[in-house]
Amino acid sequence: MTSLAVHFPALVVVNLLICSFVMPVLDRWKKNLVIPVALGSMALSFVFSIHLAVRVSVEGAFGYAMGGWVAPWGIEFVVDHFSVFMLLTLTGVGLLILVYATQDLVHELKEDVLGWYYTLYLLLMASMVGLALTNDLFNLFVFVEICAIASCAIISIKENRECIEASLKYLILSAVGSGGMLLGIAMIYMVTGHLNFTHVTEALPQAFELYPRNIMVAMALFAAGIGVKAALFPLHVWLPDAHSSAPSPSSAILSGLVIKVYAAVFIKLFLKMFPWEAYEAIPLMTIVLIMSSVGIVMGSMFAIVQEDIKKMLAYSSVAQIGYVFLGIALLSQNGTLGGILHIFNHALMKSMLFMAAGAIIYCTGVRRISDLKGIGTKMPMVMSVFSIGAFSMVGIPMTNGFISKWYLAIGALDVDKPLYVAVILLSSLLNGVYYLPIVVNAFFGEHKGNFQMSRKLPLQMAIPLIILASAIIITGIFPRLMLDLADKAVLFLLN
Amino acid sequence: MDPLATFLPLWIIFFPMAMTLIIYYVEQFSEKLRNALAVLTSVITFLSVVALYPFIMGGDIIEYTLFEIIANLGISIRVDILSYCLALIASFVWMLVTIYSLDYMAHEHAVNRYYPTLIVTLGSCLGIFMAGDLFTLFVFFELMSLISYILVVHEESPEALRAGYKYLILTIIGGLALFFGIIATFELAGTVSLSVIGMVTQDTPLAMFAFLSFLIGFGMKAGMFPLHVWLPDAHPVAPSPASALLSGIMLKTGAYGMFRVIFHVFSVDLMRDTGSTTIIAALAIITILLGSAVAITQDDLKRRLAYSSIGQMGYILLGIAILNEQAMIGTIFHVFSHAIMKSTLFMVAGAIIVKTGKRSIKELSGIGREMPYTMMAFTLAALAMIGLPPFNGFLSKWTLSLGALDAGNPYFVVVLLISSLMNGVYYLPIIIAAFFGDHEKEFTVSEVPIKMLVPIGILALCTIIFGLSPVNFPYTLSRMAAMLLLQAGF
Repeated sequence: MTSLAVHFPALVVVNLLICSFVMPVLDRWKKNLVIPVALGSMALSFVFSIHLAVRVSVEGAFGYAMGGWVAPWGIEFVVDHFSVFMLLTLTGVGLLILVYATQDLVHELKEDVLGWYYTLYLLLMASMVGLALTNDLFNLFVFVEICAIASCAIISIKENRECIEASLKYLILSAVGSGGMLLGIAMIYMVTGHLNFTHVTEALPQAFELYPRNIMVAMALFAAGIGVKAALFPLHVWLPDAHSSAPSPSSAILSGLVIKVYAAVFIKLFLKMFPWEAYEAIPLMTIVLIMSSVGIVMGSMFAIVQEDIKKMLAYSSVAQIGYVFLGIALLSQNGTLGGILHIFNHALMKSMLFMAAGAIIYCTGVRRISDLKGIGTKMPMVMSVFSIGAFSMVGIPMTNGFISKWYLAIGALDVDKPLYVAVILLSSLLNGVYYLPIVVNAFFGEHKGNFQMSRKLPLQMAIPLIILASAIIITGIFPRLMLDLADKAVLFLLN
Repeated sequence: MDPLATFLPLWIIFFPMAMTLIIYYVEQFSEKLRNALAVLTSVITFLSVVALYPFIMGGDIIEYTLFEIIANLGISIRVDILSYCLALIASFVWMLVTIYSLDYMAHEHAVNRYYPTLIVTLGSCLGIFMAGDLFTLFVFFELMSLISYILVVHEESPEALRAGYKYLILTIIGGLALFFGIIATFELAGTVSLSVIGMVTQDTPLAMFAFLSFLIGFGMKAGMFPLHVWLPDAHPVAPSPASALLSGIMLKTGAYGMFRVIFHVFSVDLMRDTGSTTIIAALAIITILLGSAVAITQDDLKRRLAYSSIGQMGYILLGIAILNEQAMIGTIFHVFSHAIMKSTLFMVAGAIIVKTGKRSIKELSGIGREMPYTMMAFTLAALAMIGLPPFNGFLSKWTLSLGALDAGNPYFVVVLLISSLMNGVYYLPIIIAAFFGDHEKEFTVSEVPIKMLVPIGILALCTIIFGLSPVNFPYTLSRMAAMLLLQAGF
């Protein structure tokens, strides 16, 4: 066991990859094994992540060389506080979404593609986990590509016009992003001769003196590439269609996790790798700050006018990813902490909200917000859960959204930028404007929407919702666990 | 510290909250048990607050931290005399209103939603008063504000929902303003604990913004001009017992917040030096005159009462603006007075609605002959509102005026007098018409049930007792609270 435990950093990815490839085979011959194996592999990765988290908090950060080949030649994973923070978020929320998916997909997908969905899902998870762990640029690119293709595929798997159109848009824009990143990687390799983060980080300050242009272009390319993939305003155009038309579990994982992973990549590259002198040459962080604050406000504005509940949630994601980038770009201890914490908090909230919306669609087939009046009396559990998510979005104390907001606001004040506190407050108000009427109309009012309960909510869909809702409250009251990890990650990053 | 004294505040906050769950469970089977439990909960809560009396009078300040959420920020408890004053009046009125609700709500729909909401709001309201730091205060403040939304929209009519929406949006704006205030305080002082007097000592732009945010956040709740817009819509549409609580008690949470901000976050000197008191004074005067003036034009009885609440909250703000000993005594005593008077008036309005279905003041002519006891109570409370001796309203106005004169500001006294006059203009015609007005049909005495009459009667008597009695413990408490608050400033 102890000897196996050494390989957990690799196994957490490899296990998902292998199971992903096994899926089509099982789908053909042992159909009833598909779901148990998929769930088992996700659960296993979650357990590995917990083990790694414990190990990191005891021993501190450590590296892992694939197959014993050390850095300049082999592939290296680094398990530090930040990557285990991401691991826990990804595998934990990913597991819950998968549980939910086992029931929801049956009504959203055609019978013959059901097995494929699990392949894609596990592949997507593997790539995201890989992105969190990887320590070299080339693997980063490989995982980015897998991630992009898998996430396009879990949108278009629904095989209707909207989904194909949305995923095509996503595919093209995301390919542009990947292209930018690849070019950036090439530039870095050109001036430093390294792909491993650690070595690149060492070589960059010197290289920056010799070839400042190359490095600045590389930074721009990375920023644009990540910006597109993370849907940073105004590069978000693909997101609302893609996230709203996809099957509900896909929406949950895309909005909850996939866009956050790119925020994590951004942190890895821009806070860890690029030299601080470079930021004096180009005001990248200021640009990101402006983009994210405009995104926070505009995303919420767009969300207000939406009629479709999933589209509204998607626009809300555009705003929320702005919070993450805002926090990161503030570059203050508390601000960055808030940004990182919001990765976790928003993953809980948004995947829960998408799953709640999915549960409503599953039971009643209704998606229009105006038709949802009075639904709280029919589906009290789902709407209570939705309300908790909504309160967390607004940042009511005792929910985890409040903790993120607290740190973001403190962070902005720390660096004397109270304007961004105003942005956060304005956005909270706008969140209230579009989330609370849904909650209110669901429970109160005489006019009931026209919907029928055609199906009962199965347990597999109800349990993840309840777990996530309790997690929102618990991490709102006792945020210590994730906060400690994030705190150490920030200390390490901003040193 | 006495273990009982440590335990009681926690019990007072969390007992109603725990009972909410039990009531929610029980009401699925038995309405009678639900009603009994609701009354029992409010009575026990009130008695528990009373049980704190010896400790508080002994000069203790009960304070401790329950747990920390993040460094220097957590849930804590702190009970001093000011907290105790508000907790006492809140739990007392709440108890009477719960008893009153039994018969009032018997004709209403969704009663199963009403009682748990009522009781959980009691817990969170007491939580505000017993909070040990601004964050805890904020948590309970938001909890109370959001949950009382359910009371506001209870009727679920389109106008209730409209009023509720306005209430909700302003609550969120207020909440965000408070959030900013607390964040800024935390940034400036590194703590938000109320055991620190004068957290912010420097007059910086951020401190100014923090003050304005607190003013917006708490002022919104207190119905301060220009943030009062939600109040005249929200209070009348709620069921009458809820209106009594919204106007009588929950408005005071805003005033309580302002007390804490002025004396704990900032300090009296800082408030004076930065001219913040002038801002509050200006807003208070506008609030008083506007509330009273608009009340005259209202024909709906409950709307008139709601506007009157705005005017009365202006008195409390005015006292805060004057900031000397007499004014603080007057202001805190007015918290007691107004809670008693306005709850009585709203409960009477509710009694009239239950008995006759009438809300318009025009239709109330002769009602005094139909419901003599109820209208007697109304008369007492209304006379107290106008500020006639020997009622408690007179005592608060008298003390406030003394404070204004001490501060060398006779204009404030003029404002108080004008407002009293206006109160007379809108309350007296109701009383005169009720007892001496035309009545088309033969009158028959048909009073509301005894369970509604008794709470109204008790509160109405309180207006005299606390104006006349030589052993006036609300006044004593107010004086002690004012002394305690001002110790730091003088």
